[in-house]
Amino acid sequence: MIRRRDLLVGGAGALALSGMGAAPARAADEVVVGVLYAMSGASAQVGVDARHAIETALDIVNQNHDLDLPLARGTGLPGLGGARIRLVFADHQADPQKGRAEAERLITQDKVAALVGCYQSAVSATVSATAERYGVPFVCADSSSPSLHRKNLKYFFRPAAHDEMFSAAMFDFLDAMRKKGQKIDSVALFFEDTIYGVDSSTVQRKLAGERGYKVAADVKYKTNSPSLTAEVQQLKSANADVLLPTSYTTDAILLTKTMAELGYKPKSMIAQAAGFAEKVTYDTVGDKLQGLISRGSFSLDLAAKRPSVGAVNDLYRARANRDLNDNSSRQFMAMLVLAEALNRAGSTDGQKIRAALAATDIPGTQTIMPWKRVAFGPDGQNTDADPVLLQWVGTKFVTVFPEQAAVAPALWPMNA
Amino acid sequence: MTTQALAQVLASGLLMGLIYALIAVGLSLIFGLMDVVNFAHGEFLMLAMYATFGLVLLTHLDPVVLMPLVAALLFVLGAAAYLGVVRFAMRAKANQGMVQIFATFGLAILLQGAAQYLFTPDYRNVQNTWLGGRTLDLGGVFLPWPQIFGAVVSLAAFGGLHLLMSRTDFGRALEATREDQGAVALVGIDRTRVFALGWGLGAALVGLAGAVLAVFYYIHPQVGASFALIAYVTVALGGFGSVAGALVAGIVVGLVEAFTAVILPPSLKSVGVYALYLAVVFVRPQGLFGRL
Repeated sequence: MIRRRDLLVGGAGALALSGMGAAPARAADEVVVGVLYAMSGASAQVGVDARHAIETALDIVNQNHDLDLPLARGTGLPGLGGARIRLVFADHQADPQKGRAEAERLITQDKVAALVGCYQSAVSATVSATAERYGVPFVCADSSSPSLHRKNLKYFFRPAAHDEMFSAAMFDFLDAMRKKGQKIDSVALFFEDTIYGVDSSTVQRKLAGERGYKVAADVKYKTNSPSLTAEVQQLKSANADVLLPTSYTTDAILLTKTMAELGYKPKSMIAQAAGFAEKVTYDTVGDKLQGLISRGSFSLDLAAKRPSVGAVNDLYRARANRDLNDNSSRQFMAMLVLAEALNRAGSTDGQKIRAALAATDIPGTQTIMPWKRVAFGPDGQNTDADPVLLQWVGTKFVTVFPEQAAVAPALWPMNA
Repeated sequence: MTTQALAQVLASGLLMGLIYALIAVGLSLIFGLMDVVNFAHGEFLMLAMYATFGLVLLTHLDPVVLMPLVAALLFVLGAAAYLGVVRFAMRAKANQGMVQIFATFGLAILLQGAAQYLFTPDYRNVQNTWLGGRTLDLGGVFLPWPQIFGAVVSLAAFGGLHLLMSRTDFGRALEATREDQGAVALVGIDRTRVFALGWGLGAALVGLAGAVLAVFYYIHPQVGASFALIAYVTVALGGFGSVAGALVAGIVVGLVEAFTAVILPPSLKSVGVYALYLAVVFVRPQGLFGRL
């Protein structure tokens, strides 16, 4: 008779043996990377899209593609003897504590060489601290809070822009519109109550003060609220020239619906992407968002300047059944930047990968973004990740700022 | 604060409060009937919203017309949840209270997971309804038609429920079962049948709420969670088992929430509701209308 105890002991032994036997062999033929997103809960769709984006990047690395992107030509990582990258996904449910626990599990049990994630800045904050403790590099794909790179972490890298850069672009744009004779005196801040919203509003409040815009309303709201009526009421009575919302998808949809219900039509809105970068927001309430401007890292009309944009979008669409957006394009790039560094590191050792990431220098033309290049400062932030502003016109986003990237002039006010 | 702004806050709070009441009353009814807190109540709401969305796609009819059908579907779901899950949980020999909690909580997680698997985590939205996007402008006070409609449905549901409970045999059987489960068995009332119908009725009510919400709210596998929390507070505030309590407490919660958001930063707007809840728990633990 086989007893449960025997099975357990035997199983453990087999596991230990396979672990011992496989470890050195595995290092040569695959590199394991941990990917952390919310795969369930209110932001699950972002996680599902992120998975497609990162798998698209992986496909470009592992298969042969004739594209001007790092590691596109040829298969696998030549620097690691042609090794392939294997992804392990973890679901952090948008909860910082679950993010920390999952990061720890990926590092200690799955022995990942690096981590990628996490969308919600609050989660990226705990994951980056965990990665630092274990000496495992964390490539932050799409969290934009400036406080993340201010912690002097050695293993934190962010190829995309952060909210100070994005917000500066917004105010540069407002200044430019003022110069053109538009009357823009006041802004209204509307932001969610986690690190993403709070950091974003701090920057915007500061910039408004420095550049002479009155903050007519400063509304911090509870994320995933059943109703935003009272909040919208406050925005409406403030009646600022520009509304600056910082929201995830649920709140972006509810805000737009409530604004329409209460008859609040701001002259213009400039959003801090996230929920306002999601296709589903436009599928549900896009008709009410005509002329909305969102900051972005990406736009499909960049295909004119970066030929790989269209090809990558086709690959992504085949998986996700939707186009790349501001979030998924950054997730794609994060994986590609990491793979390029892994290849140069020629090792799965955390320190060596860190050194390779720190030495990254990818020209903007080899990305699908409007960036000048990818090169990290000592704080792990890419300072050459030029943001763009996109405007929702008809059924698509059009790049309207800065001028060198613009495809069309901005419609101002939004309902013009 | 201007009179107009005050009127707006009052009206918004009242409209939302009536919808909260409609969401909560089914929960209260089930608790009053058999001392079981249905932790899957929010998921029933979510499924009602998906049912509305699906039926609109299928029939191209307005959600308003489809409301009775959604309520009927939820009635079946509620009765099935009782017969398939809760009935067995109630047979537990030890720790019956905990078993019930785990059973309905497990049901909630199962329904959420199933919804995410079947419907994907994408956000849905019922478009092209008679009510959608229309707003009544009363001299600068804006009342969205979907919410006015929701409030009317809520009041009608409460009226109907009152008639059902006081004028029909089923209502009287429900009331009697609630008073003394043992005694009703002696007079030949089938307890299992009454419970199943009670669960069906509770679910049908939250089904109505789901159909109302689907017109002006996004639909998502997680959408039940934020409303369920408010429903629990509403039920506790009004008194577990009290139908009138659910109505009054729903309105109170809506108003307190609206005014707190004006007085405090909006991110703290639930604070007022929970402060009130705590006060009631200390002063009147059975709730405003509850019996101990």
